[in-house]
Amino acid sequence: MVFPRRSAVYMLLVGALVLFLGPFAWLLNTALKDPSELRALPVHWWPHDPSLNNFHDALTQIDYLGYARNSLTIATVYALLVTLASAWAGYGFARLNAPGKRLIFSVLLSTMMLPQVLTLIPTYLLFAKMHLTNTYVPWVLWGLCGAPYLIFLFRQFFSNMPKELEEAAIVDGCGQIRIFWRIFLPQSWPVIATSLILSFSWTWGDYIAPALLLDDTHTTLAVKLAYGYVNEHGAPLGNLVAAGAVMYVVPVLALFLIVQRGFVTGAATSGLK
Amino acid sequence: MSTEQITAPGAPSPSGETAARPGPRTGANAGRRPRSLTTRRAWSFYVFAGPWVLGFLALTAFPLGYALWLSLTNADGLSNNSRFVGLENYREVLTDPETMSSLARTGVFVALTVPLSIAAGLLLAVLVNQPIRARGLFRTLLYLPAVVPPVGAALTFKLIFDRDSGAANGVLDALRIDGVSWLMDPYARWVLVTLTLWGAGNTMIISLAGLQDIPKELHEAARMDGANAWQSFTKITVPMLSPVLFFQVITGIIAAVQSFLPLLISLDPTPRGVTSVPEGNYLFMIHVFAQYFANGRYGYASAMLWVLFLIIIAITFLVFRLSKGAVFYSVDPEPTKQSRPRTIGDK
Repeated sequence: MVFPRRSAVYMLLVGALVLFLGPFAWLLNTALKDPSELRALPVHWWPHDPSLNNFHDALTQIDYLGYARNSLTIATVYALLVTLASAWAGYGFARLNAPGKRLIFSVLLSTMMLPQVLTLIPTYLLFAKMHLTNTYVPWVLWGLCGAPYLIFLFRQFFSNMPKELEEAAIVDGCGQIRIFWRIFLPQSWPVIATSLILSFSWTWGDYIAPALLLDDTHTTLAVKLAYGYVNEHGAPLGNLVAAGAVMYVVPVLALFLIVQRGFVTGAATSGLK
Repeated sequence: MSTEQITAPGAPSPSGETAARPGPRTGANAGRRPRSLTTRRAWSFYVFAGPWVLGFLALTAFPLGYALWLSLTNADGLSNNSRFVGLENYREVLTDPETMSSLARTGVFVALTVPLSIAAGLLLAVLVNQPIRARGLFRTLLYLPAVVPPVGAALTFKLIFDRDSGAANGVLDALRIDGVSWLMDPYARWVLVTLTLWGAGNTMIISLAGLQDIPKELHEAARMDGANAWQSFTKITVPMLSPVLFFQVITGIIAAVQSFLPLLISLDPTPRGVTSVPEGNYLFMIHVFAQYFANGRYGYASAMLWVLFLIIIAITFLVFRLSKGAVFYSVDPEPTKQSRPRTIGDK
């Protein structure tokens, strides 16, 4: 389908771009402003004296790097474990057969519909009873059993690989684990990359789980950022919030921009085919 | 069902005895290879699926059951003498005016954001699917907000809609219009809707992938027959895209009813908790968190979540039923053909 006028397409797209990128511009703008400029009337569209002081203060007023390390630890551990575990389960659903497989698979698919918070509150109470709150064990456990969406992603990918791959290996006497590890997994880099990025950014961006399970020192950047920057009277410090938010958001955006060429967006729709 | 029985059909047995019965009498390796192979594959399946099944039982099924039990008690996390109260919590969910009004607000929020997001995503997808310059760049940049973590997005919107220093009132001021307190009633809900629509890049990417799967010949044939762009869009694009749009309706509703973005927009550094959420943004999920955190009513919060779950199931079922006939599947939904990996910059 060809749109009537090409110039209309450009105009609409540029308009959309202004609306979609405007918030980033304002965030950066606020982060570079002197605190006194925040109270300026009328609003300063550009910082008159841009400085990086806010970034310095954002790093020191709270233990920014400490919270960033917490976020990084949880997200990395979860992403690595969940990717491996999901590939593992995905291989089973794609290439192997056994009684009960259909049932297990439909349970897997239906858990994607489950509201996460429904399990989160009882999970919190259970983990509290087992003294697992304020530790990162929950993320290890969640990682180890894989995520339904990622399992589905790997299953789709593995299903499409030629049968000859494993037949030759079976003739050579390879077990399934070895076939998975040596043949299928090394071929699935696009999905592995997608899975790592998705799971990392889920955890990096998650608010509710760390807010429930972790106390003030163990918590993540996402949680601390939301309420950490106040002056001695308890009033929010907009410049520091902005600077902190820039440093929190930029790594995710950078990661996305670096990998987006190879990012399998077909992943987003694989559930439809 | 034993594993031998599964492998039995087709397994040749040279001695003529039932293939399903392995035993010392089976000669050497005769007939064993295919059977043991399939049997081993079956066991391998359990080895591969096992971790997820165990995880599901321990981290999903068990908490769900526990939530169900909690919803039948008056557990409050403080006293240990929580007791069974039957369906009392559920009765309260259905009769508490605050619960019901938060549910109604959630309904309005869903009814606003889901169609708007899908429509915006579809419009953008059609635009970035045109043969124009730098469309890869357009795709990437429009998708960018969808990558921003919710907390980052909420903080950004708080800054934009700040009463004194925000850009929104700056624009109004430049237009000689008095600024308003965006983050309070009655405007807060529009900030929430805008924030949700900012992530429309997500639906754009999904619709775009769907658009690229529509055979070009269909549009060409329509053009030969004299169809204009709008006819081509409504008679070909939308029906061909209907499974994708349907998928977005379902996932959109499920995500929107669970939205806790209002919590993040309204989080006040001064620890007043979730009670400071403006009424317009006091969605069902916020009410759940308020009951849970502020009042420690685990039982009641669990009952509310179970009601929400049942509502999600009912809506999903309803959407499935209503979409019958409206959703057009051109191919067998079973994944048989090689799906082509796509990148956002894809030409």
